[in-house]
Amino acid sequence: MQLKARHKIAGIIVGAVFLLAAPYLVPYQALATQMLIFAIFAIGFDILFGYTGLLSFGHAAFFGLGAYGTGLSLLHLTSSVPLALGMGILLAVAVAIPMGFLSTQRHGIYFAMVTLAFAQLIYFIAFQWRSLTGGDDGLQGVPRPSLGPVDLSSDLVYYYFVLLMFILALVLGVRIIRSPFGKALQAMRENTDRAMSVGYDPRKYKLISFVISAGFAALAGGLYAMLQNFVPLFSLGLDISGEIVLMTLVGGMGTIYGPVIGAMSIVYVKDLLSSQTDIWPLIMGVLYVGSVMTFRRGVVKELKERFFK
Amino acid sequence: MEPVFLFSQFFNGLVLGCIYVLLSLGLTVVFGTLGVVNFAHGALYMLGAYAAYTVATHLQLNFLACLILCPVIVAVIGMVLEKLLISKLYKLPHYYNLLLTFGLMFIIQDAIKIFFGPEGEPFNIPDLLQGAINLGFMYYPKYRLFILIVTAMLSGGLWLFIEKTRLGAIIRAGTDNAEMADALGTNISWTFTLIFGLGAGLSGLAGVLAAPIQNVQPAMGMDILVQTFVVVIIGGMGSIGGSILAGLVIGQILTFSIVFWPPGSTTLIYAFMALVLVTRPRGFFGRVSFFE
Repeated sequence: MQLKARHKIAGIIVGAVFLLAAPYLVPYQALATQMLIFAIFAIGFDILFGYTGLLSFGHAAFFGLGAYGTGLSLLHLTSSVPLALGMGILLAVAVAIPMGFLSTQRHGIYFAMVTLAFAQLIYFIAFQWRSLTGGDDGLQGVPRPSLGPVDLSSDLVYYYFVLLMFILALVLGVRIIRSPFGKALQAMRENTDRAMSVGYDPRKYKLISFVISAGFAALAGGLYAMLQNFVPLFSLGLDISGEIVLMTLVGGMGTIYGPVIGAMSIVYVKDLLSSQTDIWPLIMGVLYVGSVMTFRRGVVKELKERFFK
Repeated sequence: MEPVFLFSQFFNGLVLGCIYVLLSLGLTVVFGTLGVVNFAHGALYMLGAYAAYTVATHLQLNFLACLILCPVIVAVIGMVLEKLLISKLYKLPHYYNLLLTFGLMFIIQDAIKIFFGPEGEPFNIPDLLQGAINLGFMYYPKYRLFILIVTAMLSGGLWLFIEKTRLGAIIRAGTDNAEMADALGTNISWTFTLIFGLGAGLSGLAGVLAAPIQNVQPAMGMDILVQTFVVVIIGGMGSIGGSILAGLVIGQILTFSIVFWPPGSTTLIYAFMALVLVTRPRGFFGRVSFFE
């Protein structure tokens, strides 16, 4: 037990040092920011996939909606960063409620297919609605205004702003998981019938979990739009939906920290490889098959098993 | 609008629907018996089209040979994948195979892109089936009519196969009650491999048939996969009748939306799916708690 606590403290220290130094450790500062953005996305996704047991194949919809919502707000409505991010989250949540309501009527693999189909719907709406979204050219010229006295236009400053958001997201994520609500989600994942028989309404809980994870995805999307000064149409696409599943799976679903590590390593590896070759989809496919066939509990749990037992 | 024009559009919708029927039949049979949502189904369809392209242009064989040979090739590829990978995960939660086939989809698609290039290849309608035929009330392209006939014969054949043969009986038992079929167990392992091969072969056949009316290109599988999902969600997973009905309905919705409201052509089918989910959460013919 003492050993475990010591490992925990060591882990936190290593993590904190790494996160503070990350912009200097990777090839360019914006990459470190992008790693954190996907880590925020992964925290939310793990609440849904890892802790509630619902595999969504359409979460790019919320990442993209957050990005478009924030981007459009900054372009047309406001120069307040928190307000714009809030608008992105609001837009994603407003879509997540009916979409979640319809897809949580179905379980397991149906849920995956229905969410995928709805995400495609949103993708095509954005594709067709050129006047608002820019169609397949994406949403150009998203500004990155300053936050009160803090000028975010430097990539380094923006990294630390995203780091702050990441820490907030992580704390919030951990609190949700450890709350009675989080425990109820896990109970439902393990045995829906039993959770129902002690008085929980699974559909309500699943819907709330779906909406929460959509909110995290939208926050990540909004930060992404400000990072790139641009919202690409592919932010709504199937590739992103697939990548977030892979990040969670590789890191180890149902561990929160695992998906964070998974997201950061995959963004890093993807960037490293895409500058060398253009066969990223092939490598992603191999990673998928490899992680499903061999270490399907994810790196965090596998490492725990091997070294800390 | 001329009635003849509407008629020919209706036939176009039927032809498109036929491609969806073939694809969703394969998907639904595999799902119903094996409990696997095959995300690589679209990639196998694309492989069918590329196999037809290769056989026709490089081996100089005629279209009939393609039509017989290529689905077999795709079926064999499917069976190898089932034996080596998919079969190892049957005992785990269903989503593992979904994730596995999702990965396979990317591998197959990218491998084809590396091998054949991203642009796509033209594939001509075979000489024998070029031109139009007089149906009495309108002229209609021979090749499209050919797709209609092939699909009708195949759907009938598949129905007979499932109703009258031993393997068909196992498929029915599997879709009705997978655990019971397992408990009574014939050599279920090879049966599963064959069934997966059947599904792969059907999607390969759809690819061969679609090759002359579409451009053969690496992304064709990914594009059609989600639409096929919509078909099986609407029809009810595991239901053969549901696949046929929903495939034909989706074919009509797509075709007529292109005629009357082009911007809606990519979105209307999803709206229709949402409507079906609201009114009938399990689709036209879906059953309660089936692999849920």
